[in-house]
Amino acid sequence: MREEDLATKFAAYAETRLPGARNARVSSINRIHGGASRQTYSIDLAYEDATGPKVKALILRRDPPDSLIDTERRVEFAAIKSAYGQRDLPVPEALFLETKNDALGAPFFVMGRIESGTPLNPFKLDDVEPHRAAIGEQFFRHLGSIAALPVEGSALAVETETPALDQCWRRELDYWANEIRSNAKDPQLVAEAAIRHLERNPPPPAQRLSIVHGDYRTGNYLQDGEGTMTAILDWEMAHIGDPYEDLAWATDLLWCANDQERAAGLLPWPEAIEVWQKASGCSFDPAAFEWWSLFAHVKALGIWVTSEKAFANGENDDPILAWSGWFTHSAHELMLAMRLGPKYGAGA
Amino acid sequence: MSDIGMILDRIGRKLVTEVAPKLEGDYSGGHAGMSGLMAVMAGEAWDGAADRLVNEIASMRGLLALAGQEVSVPESPSVKISDLTTERNALANLLIAVQIELEGRGDDMSRDLNAKIWMHLMATAMARMPSPPIIAEGAE
Repeated sequence: MREEDLATKFAAYAETRLPGARNARVSSINRIHGGASRQTYSIDLAYEDATGPKVKALILRRDPPDSLIDTERRVEFAAIKSAYGQRDLPVPEALFLETKNDALGAPFFVMGRIESGTPLNPFKLDDVEPHRAAIGEQFFRHLGSIAALPVEGSALAVETETPALDQCWRRELDYWANEIRSNAKDPQLVAEAAIRHLERNPPPPAQRLSIVHGDYRTGNYLQDGEGTMTAILDWEMAHIGDPYEDLAWATDLLWCANDQERAAGLLPWPEAIEVWQKASGCSFDPAAFEWWSLFAHVKALGIWVTSEKAFANGENDDPILAWSGWFTHSAHELMLAMRLGPKYGAGA
Repeated sequence: MSDIGMILDRIGRKLVTEVAPKLEGDYSGGHAGMSGLMAVMAGEAWDGAADRLVNEIASMRGLLALAGQEVSVPESPSVKISDLTTERNALANLLIAVQIELEGRGDDMSRDLNAKIWMHLMATAMARMPSPPIIAEGAE
């Protein structure tokens, strides 16, 4: 759909959803890089209501023909609702959700736009200077705060299943193993060996059930360049599970240019863990974390092979999917091989 | 014949340093930059692709022989990447089955062979890893 047509249809839709709104029109629309999993537009909506003219700054997230991950926009919408206004989490307001194609030709949801901040490129993390420590403190504090959000009664709990404490790992591993097996175009020797290793050496049960963001990492938050994280974005993989899943994903070495000294390339490890423990109320168990850290590589491979398939099939021609299927897939395969090989006597 | 690796490298650098900056602010600018980076990487990978596959195939045939497997996978009719990939993938499926069997045993010989398979996996993963392109800021 052309952007002009999308703008016209969106204005008509928004007018029906905003109480008392009339003469709604889109005064500005720009497609932005908001992840390849949805088509993301920044929109200024002008309208009038009983109190006079208004302009609302919005983000429209519309489903593409295919995406990085097969997710329900209902889940992302519910996750944002669950976190909005909680503790001091910088999360946009979830506004409208449409699961049918009628209004804009595809399902979509709309959230408020947070005006300040840009994402950091995980491959250029030095750009965070001179605010590395400040961003790092917020990064791990917010991550802990998400883990501490109430699950029971949350919007996310309505939309997703709540696993038993001892089944969090099994559910996630089964899901991503299936993604790999269903979507890989070549045999995945390293991923298969890693899946078997994780099955044979399960982690302890989750210490609590948490809202898991699912893709909390550098690249998926905004920062204002002055030391403040202004928004946590990209909640499409959110679910209820073990809080270690987010901690391990957030500190995966891909997202910090292989910085082994600092967690997520932001804070010294002891400091990062202390901040996360304080905010989450969880305790840190290195053995459990080791399992989830290896799992993070497997999960990544699941995303990358799915991306590659979508690109190869021509379902989505965003070059980021080709990059994911090649560079990042190779990186995670290498990480897994180098971590697991020595456990089996290789390279010792 | 033209140097394909060189052509891809030059096209990629042109996209990153000239085309993408002119599209800055437009969604297609990101596409141009990413496509350029991958063209540079493809130029490098093009040169080594057949060599890498031949090495993987030789290593897997060796491991399967050590495992006492009778391998019916035919050798590639050519050194085309597509033919070599077909052979490599067929051998890889056999190697997965062998590794599963070895993991189910506890004897020293099985552990030793499994360690060798892991060494193959580590070497293969290293060989497959593309080097991120280095493109100087503002380079023409």
